[in-house]
Amino acid sequence: MSLYEIIGGLLSIIGASFLFLGGLGIYRMPDVYNRLQAGTKATTLGAMSLILGVGVVKMEDHWSWIVKAIIIIVFIAISNPISSHALSRAMYHRKKFPIIKSSDKNMDAYREVFEKQEREKEEKK
Amino acid sequence: MKKTIVILLLAAFGYFLAITFLDPDFEKDRNRNGVKNVYLEKTVSELKTANTVTAIVVNFRGFDTLGEVTVLFLAASALGSILFKKRHHVGERSITLPASSIVSTGAKLLFPAIILLGVYVFVHGHLTPGGGFQGGTIIATGFLLMLISYRNFSISHNILSVIESLAGILFVVIGLMGFINGGTFLQNFMPTGTLNNLFSGGIIPIIYILVGFKVATELTGLIYTILHEKG
Repeated sequence: MSLYEIIGGLLSIIGASFLFLGGLGIYRMPDVYNRLQAGTKATTLGAMSLILGVGVVKMEDHWSWIVKAIIIIVFIAISNPISSHALSRAMYHRKKFPIIKSSDKNMDAYREVFEKQEREKEEKK
Repeated sequence: MKKTIVILLLAAFGYFLAITFLDPDFEKDRNRNGVKNVYLEKTVSELKTANTVTAIVVNFRGFDTLGEVTVLFLAASALGSILFKKRHHVGERSITLPASSIVSTGAKLLFPAIILLGVYVFVHGHLTPGGGFQGGTIIATGFLLMLISYRNFSISHNILSVIESLAGILFVVIGLMGFINGGTFLQNFMPTGTLNNLFSGGIIPIIYILVGFKVATELTGLIYTILHEKG
């Protein structure tokens, strides 16, 4: 085993375990926002690490593999958070609010802004 | 009861999956004569195409691909004719909530990259996995991203249909040129070049570029029609 394979394998194992935790989070969490949080955070790091691992393993053949892997990582780093932001925003505007058991009002600070916007919309009508 | 049945079915599925992958027998039929050997030999020796699937799809069975493109065209025009009844609503978007600035900034950033990836996939259809259909679909997703993140992003339907028709006509023209030069429809008549080069494979890259343009414009038109339909 070469050094590339060892480092790449370790990165891949880290990525795979994060992906597993993300899947477990999507299965276990109670509402959409928790699931999105688990899914996005874990899969962003998991997929990044996994792809970087593959790039490092393949770097033994040709150096261009690591460049390709980094391009894919940049794409994931941009697209994954944006898509989950769009999903959670769409859910909020469908009035599916997060489950909050604490009485602290700062837990969901966006709620006030959202309700104000809704009232303004009603008044316009 | 239900859970037991589900577990039993899953166990059976897992068992068959495991025996398939533990003992694949890929080498078993290698030496038997058949049409696949002809494909495998001719792809490398005559057509000089690195991707056998592409050679089969575009060259050996190019007529099928022409049929598939026609089916897609038929589906697009059928959907257009169904939605045509509500055409007087065109101009109003069926999505009422505008996208947030995060999404629109990200879309602006990602759109060129997505288009570039789509073009790469269909230009390299004869070298790597992928091809016209896949590349065209990737380009259409790029346009979908722009359409849902910018409310006033509009595409001219006329330009789309002109590109689509031109690509379809050129596909048939290339087929007819093969008919004139070689004797059969979609016969290869161009120099094949060297294996694993971008300029290799005769007419395969040209046809896949045409298919890519056709699929991209067709699906973009479909998405545009559905998004602007208010119903």
